[in-house]
Amino acid sequence: MRIEELQQRLEQYSEIEAIIHKHQLFSYRDLLRLTESWFQRLAQNKIEPGTVVAVTSDYSADAIALMAALILNKNIAVPLTPLAKTQFNEYFKTSYTQSIIDLTQTTFRISDRKNDPLQNDLLRNLIEQQHPGLILFTSGSTGQAKAVVHDFEKLLTKFTHANKGYRSLVFLMFDHIAGIDSYFYSLYSGGTMIFPVSRLPKEICGLIEKHRVEVLPASPTFLNLLLLSGEHLRHDLDSLKIITFGSERAPQSLLKRLKNNFPQVRLVQKYGLTELGSPSSKSMEADASWLKIDSPRFKTKIINKRLHIKSDAAMLGYLNAPDPFTGDGWFDTGDTVEVKGEYLRILGRESEIINVGGEKVFPVEVEEVIQMMPGVEDVVVSGVPYPITGQIVKASVQLETKETLSEFRQRMRDFCEEKLPRFKIPQKVTLAKDSLHGDRFKKMRG
Amino acid sequence: MEKVVLMHEKIVDIIVGESKEVNKKLKNKISVELREAAPLFGENGILDSIALVTLLVAVEQSVEDEFDFPVILADEKAMSQKNSPYQSIGALAQYVGSLLKE
Repeated sequence: MRIEELQQRLEQYSEIEAIIHKHQLFSYRDLLRLTESWFQRLAQNKIEPGTVVAVTSDYSADAIALMAALILNKNIAVPLTPLAKTQFNEYFKTSYTQSIIDLTQTTFRISDRKNDPLQNDLLRNLIEQQHPGLILFTSGSTGQAKAVVHDFEKLLTKFTHANKGYRSLVFLMFDHIAGIDSYFYSLYSGGTMIFPVSRLPKEICGLIEKHRVEVLPASPTFLNLLLLSGEHLRHDLDSLKIITFGSERAPQSLLKRLKNNFPQVRLVQKYGLTELGSPSSKSMEADASWLKIDSPRFKTKIINKRLHIKSDAAMLGYLNAPDPFTGDGWFDTGDTVEVKGEYLRILGRESEIINVGGEKVFPVEVEEVIQMMPGVEDVVVSGVPYPITGQIVKASVQLETKETLSEFRQRMRDFCEEKLPRFKIPQKVTLAKDSLHGDRFKKMRG
Repeated sequence: MEKVVLMHEKIVDIIVGESKEVNKKLKNKISVELREAAPLFGENGILDSIALVTLLVAVEQSVEDEFDFPVILADEKAMSQKNSPYQSIGALAQYVGSLLKE
């Protein structure tokens, strides 16, 4: 696909609402103008094609226009949200960033660094082919973040057929593959994006009501918070048609509660990886935790219960880690899956599996049970090292009740007795005062 | 001296209490009525490793609650004792006591 198609689409949608942010409305025509003005600014600041440009920003019309301008200018873009601020310098260095455009200030700032992307084979290839690029960082909870390089042209090819323009609340992060997928899908399909300022349930529900949002892509952790807040009962959310969730597996109990609270809404479990993007998928009608990868551009196979994917939209490779692809292009996702016909259910990442004396425990299956207990606001299960069995299961629980730790532990054991085998019942329990999820609304294990 | 005896009794009470909890899930139950003489793990022991770990972690937590002092019952030191602290409730209570006195 030629990148010029992006520009053509923006022209074609002209009067349609593209972005609503802080009560400001931008039509596609406005967005195209912004994109053009950014394109000129790039030239004025001598940011030539092939330059690696970091954009530090949260969502705004400018941020989207700048990303589009960088694609048209054939730059290699490194989007970063202020949440990653403490890692900025490391990220700039790893990504060979040459120019930094900081949109977090009211006035934008361009600064330069002396890096040379030609030193890296992947980046040199992109530059020589004159393709725009994208560098993202995996949000690995342990170890060093990996820098993932995509050929932006390849990544965008999957949107050629995007044609259903929804009104969607863009909740997922600006620098996350799922966020990037959702805003480009919206641009290519002539959809309307509503950007939140905070990610509090009250504000999100207010925006859905006010702007008649149809699609809410979120994380299971946020959806759980939303239901607990009760804000959905205080707002008219009838416009909602689809709720998608990815980045972690949704517990059964949450799916049930979502279904009860939003009977008219289709629940869609998404699957995506920074390395591969997110293929379009279908959820099983009866149980949305099962999904079918439904894209001719993604092939799957399962080896030893682990999901392997091959896709021509996959990343080119890592900047700071060895090439993970097999000789014939397969990528081991590290995710263990169950299979039922054409459908898959993600059990969890291999690295998160807790090994208790040789028995495997997936954090999610334990979280699901504890989450069903009355008075439990949130729970995160992880493995902690323990001699004798190697690891034990630890549950950090946020309670609505005033129980002491030992009272809760007893109640939890009784509750889990019939529902979990003995080795899966958390041996260690702690009560958390603070929230158990990160700023990205993803559970923090370990 | 009296204080030490009292403390030892208190620790035995804690272990017996947690053993009763652990027993709920066990087929082969800890003979809590034997109190200190009740075998736990190893020779004559009836616990498997998961039951033992469950008991140890629970005792660690209760001891900390009671004495406001963290103890670790499964580490190199515990496992390299001449007489395993895991063989009976009494042995475990003694080991806990020795940690608290340190």
